[in-house]
Amino acid sequence: MSDDPYKVLGVQKTATQAEIKKAYRALAKKLHPDLHPGDSGKMAEFQAASAANDLLSDPEKRKRFDDGEIDASGQERQERQFYHQYANQNAGRRYDAGPDMGGFDDQSDLFSELFRQRQRSGNASGQEFHARGQDLRYHLDVDFIDAALGAKRSVTMPDGKGIEISVPPGIADGQTLRLRGKGAPGHGQGPSGDAFVTVSVRPHPVFVREGDNIEVELPITFDEAVLGAKIEVPTISGAVSMTIPKGVSSGHRLRLKGKGITKGKGQSGDQFVRLKIVLPDKIDKQLEELATRWRDQISFDPREDLRRKT
Amino acid sequence: MSFDERMVVARVERLNLRELRIWVREGWVRPAHSEAGPIFDELDIARIRLLCDLKKDMSLPTDALPVVLTLIDNLHQTRRELCALTEALEEQPEGVRRTVITKFRAIHSNVNEASGDQ
Repeated sequence: MSDDPYKVLGVQKTATQAEIKKAYRALAKKLHPDLHPGDSGKMAEFQAASAANDLLSDPEKRKRFDDGEIDASGQERQERQFYHQYANQNAGRRYDAGPDMGGFDDQSDLFSELFRQRQRSGNASGQEFHARGQDLRYHLDVDFIDAALGAKRSVTMPDGKGIEISVPPGIADGQTLRLRGKGAPGHGQGPSGDAFVTVSVRPHPVFVREGDNIEVELPITFDEAVLGAKIEVPTISGAVSMTIPKGVSSGHRLRLKGKGITKGKGQSGDQFVRLKIVLPDKIDKQLEELATRWRDQISFDPREDLRRKT
Repeated sequence: MSFDERMVVARVERLNLRELRIWVREGWVRPAHSEAGPIFDELDIARIRLLCDLKKDMSLPTDALPVVLTLIDNLHQTRRELCALTEALEEQPEGVRRTVITKFRAIHSNVNEASGDQ
């Protein structure tokens, strides 16, 4: 394959912009990878043609190329995900009914076609039309706490029907719920389609989820860190009281067992509380005096280890 | 990843909001529904890019788009089915596999010869 964009498009160096456009259009029709899924040769040719078109269809870039300021490869295109790369996967079934959206998803596959042919040749009266109703897709935004603890939500489907969705506890962002028979009604004796509800979980300002565990950063005062304390900590199921041991530093992690996410029955995750010592916005005289006195009397070097290792 | 209408228009430079809404209304693109409006995923976006190519790069007339889409959708359904069939075949014992492949080649080459004679 040639590097010269003019050769790739098969035009003269003196070609007009209209001629370039026409040449690319012809190549795109011939080579578009979504019209030839699985043909990597055509895909490479199409990408070369697209790159050449990107360069030459822009008079500014074309001039810079002609003047030798940029080379053809300087115009790397972003790697594009083509439709057929998705449509080959299971999610591609979404568009099997074709673009008319008749509302019926004829679930015939290779084999139902085979059996139908058999039936037809055996008995000619199989004229009734039965088809399964179409699947509907719905997107649901759920608050962090509702996703963690589970919740019931009523939503209005695109056809105006209201349905109640039980969001199971511990559902993760991007998970899809399948509601059998909640899609569009079927035709004849065909069953209704399904509703697929993809859940987005809104982030929480305080709680962060790690698997079934919950992480929280908890600000404490310096006296609580020095003397230890019993303080209230928020969890997804309400505030609980927690004992902070004497002499903890920022970054210290404490575990609240079983205060994470509980999926159905069985084991629960934990909540991890990361301590953060916070000083008041304004340091008053007393605190200053206390710190001065402490510095003058005590020789503690928290960076000793750091120095030794570097 | 999920995108609302505005994010889709921002991602696909060649597309404007009016076109996107028409395509959704025609059923050429079928996003998920939410209370805040349609929500698109990566597959929908790839399909929108394909529609842009068909309409803009290849300047297909709008009337022809559903015809082409129907063919493409049929093609993908068939390819996925063939894939599944191949997978099912791969799990069969060696003997069954060989019988099916031999038979397939026999039928296939017969069909080719027959059409070649015309």
